[in-house]
Parts: sequence; C-alpha cells; structure tokens
Amino acid sequence: MTGLRWLNLSARLLLGGVFLWAGVVKALDPLSFARSVAGYQLLPQLGNLLVAAALPWVEIVVGTLLVAGRLVRPAALVAAWLNLLFMAAIVSVLARGLNVDCGCFGHDRATPPELALLRDLLLLAAALWLLYRPSPSSTA
Amino acid sequence: MSSFCDRRSLGQAVAIVLFGCVVGLGVNHHVLTVAPPTPVAPPTVTAPAVPYPLPVTLPEVRELLAAGALAVDARPRALFNLGHLPMSRSIPFEEFVTLPQRLAGLLPADRPLLIYCSGFGCRDSFDLAQLLIAAGYRDVRVFEDGFPAWRDAGLPVATGETR
Repeated sequence: MTGLRWLNLSARLLLGGVFLWAGVVKALDPLSFARSVAGYQLLPQLGNLLVAAALPWVEIVVGTLLVAGRLVRPAALVAAWLNLLFMAAIVSVLARGLNVDCGCFGHDRATPPELALLRDLLLLAAALWLLYRPSPSSTA
Repeated sequence: MSSFCDRRSLGQAVAIVLFGCVVGLGVNHHVLTVAPPTPVAPPTVTAPAVPYPLPVTLPEVRELLAAGALAVDARPRALFNLGHLPMSRSIPFEEFVTLPQRLAGLLPADRPLLIYCSGFGCRDSFDLAQLLIAAGYRDVRVFEDGFPAWRDAGLPVATGETR
C-alpha cells in the first residue's frame, strides 16, 4: 500500500510540478508565447493571443491543485485533456513539416517536437494513473 | 472510462479551466488590446546602412531582389533543400549560432541581405540578422512573413542543395 501511495505522490508532484513550471514561465512572457503558438499555424492571430493569455493560467491552476493535493481527479482530467491537445498540435506540426519552436516552456528552440511528444506521453501516463488508480476515494 | 464520465469531476474540471481562463484573460487583457508589433516606415531600396535589422514585406523583398539583394535562408538545411527562394544562400541559424565568427566574409558585404525563415512564429531570421550585424554586415533586413508567404504567393521555389 505504501508503494501505491508513493506512486500516487510522485505522479501528482511530477505532473503538477511540470504544469506549474510551464505555466509560470509562459505567464511571465505572454507575447513571446503568442509567437510560439503562432508558429504552429493552427489559429488566427486573435486565437493565438487568447491561448497565450489563458493557457498558462489554466496550467498554473492545474499544477497548483495537483501539487497541493486538492481536487486531484478533476485537475488530472484537465491535465490529461490538455496533454492530448498538445500532442495533437505537435503531431500536426510534424505532419506539415513545420519548423517550430515548441513553446512548451516558454521560448525554447532546443526541444525537438519528437522529444516534446514523448514528454507529453509521460505526463499523460501520470494523469491517467491519477484518474484510474485504485482507491479513488483518497484523493486528498 | 468512469472518471471521464464522472459528472462531479467533469464539472470541477470545467470550473478549473474556466477559472484559469478568467484569471489569465484578466491578467493579460492588455495583450489582447494591443495590436501585435507591426513594422512601420517601410525602407526604400536605397536605404542607408542600418545597425538594426529592418523588417521588409513581400513586395519590398521582390523589389530588393530585383535590385541585387541576396536572400539568406536561416532555416535548417533539410528545410532549405525541400524548397527555398531562388538564388538564396543557406545559412542555418542553428549551425552558425555556435560559430558566429564564421559569418564574417562569408556573404557579399556590398549587397543588402534579406533574411527569412518560416514566417511569423519563427525567430531564426531575426536572430541570424543580429548575428550578421554583429559580424559587420551593414544592410541586413528581415523578411518576417518568410518562406510560407513567398510560396503561397505562387512565386518560384527552388529545391535541392544549391548552397
């Protein structure tokens, strides 16, 4: 049972920590993040700005809840959907052969899309573990 | 699939997203109201040497190329080989950022240089332009709309490794 608890704790801190970090970095420089979003060429200009304004704060809220151990299941649910969304965006970028800056953690030209995809997969696994783990009653 | 259908978690998840959006839009409303920085004062073909990369638009690029400017592709070589502006030189930012001293003398000093990459979301052209200016090139301009705008305008595209 202690093993499971450690797994729960690590999944929570990993997922929450990464979301919190990614959110804070991008919230500090929304215009730079808007450029990264524009690089994906998926949204009109206003859409890029809206995503850049709102998404980092959603990530911050989700990350904070996960790290704090409050509302873990709904927070993990949002994290899972966001990761699916990020992965879809990266796959579309790879399919179109675009040369983009991932933007996952602010301006970051060093991360190739394939690595970002793997990272998202790991985070998705952590989110799914939090959603489907045994004894869902002990969420706090 | 219980948790994805669990109404309480779903409702709370929606509330989390809404809360984050409201906070984010509240904090960043200035980002939405200011127009994205757009270049003003288009440069003329005979613009004097500038210490800062000037942004140029597609019509200006065509005019400058006709007047003897050199197009410089800042994207990775693989993308250059797939398609680039005719007569352009491949100077991938990612290769030269570690060796900026190699830029000196590499390109003609007497021609305006038009740097481009993959458009608005891509910074390589601007970053390379700054390296070129630091390396001593005097007339360096950035074609911000980049290769996608050139291609989408139906202008000729060259492929293969022509340097």
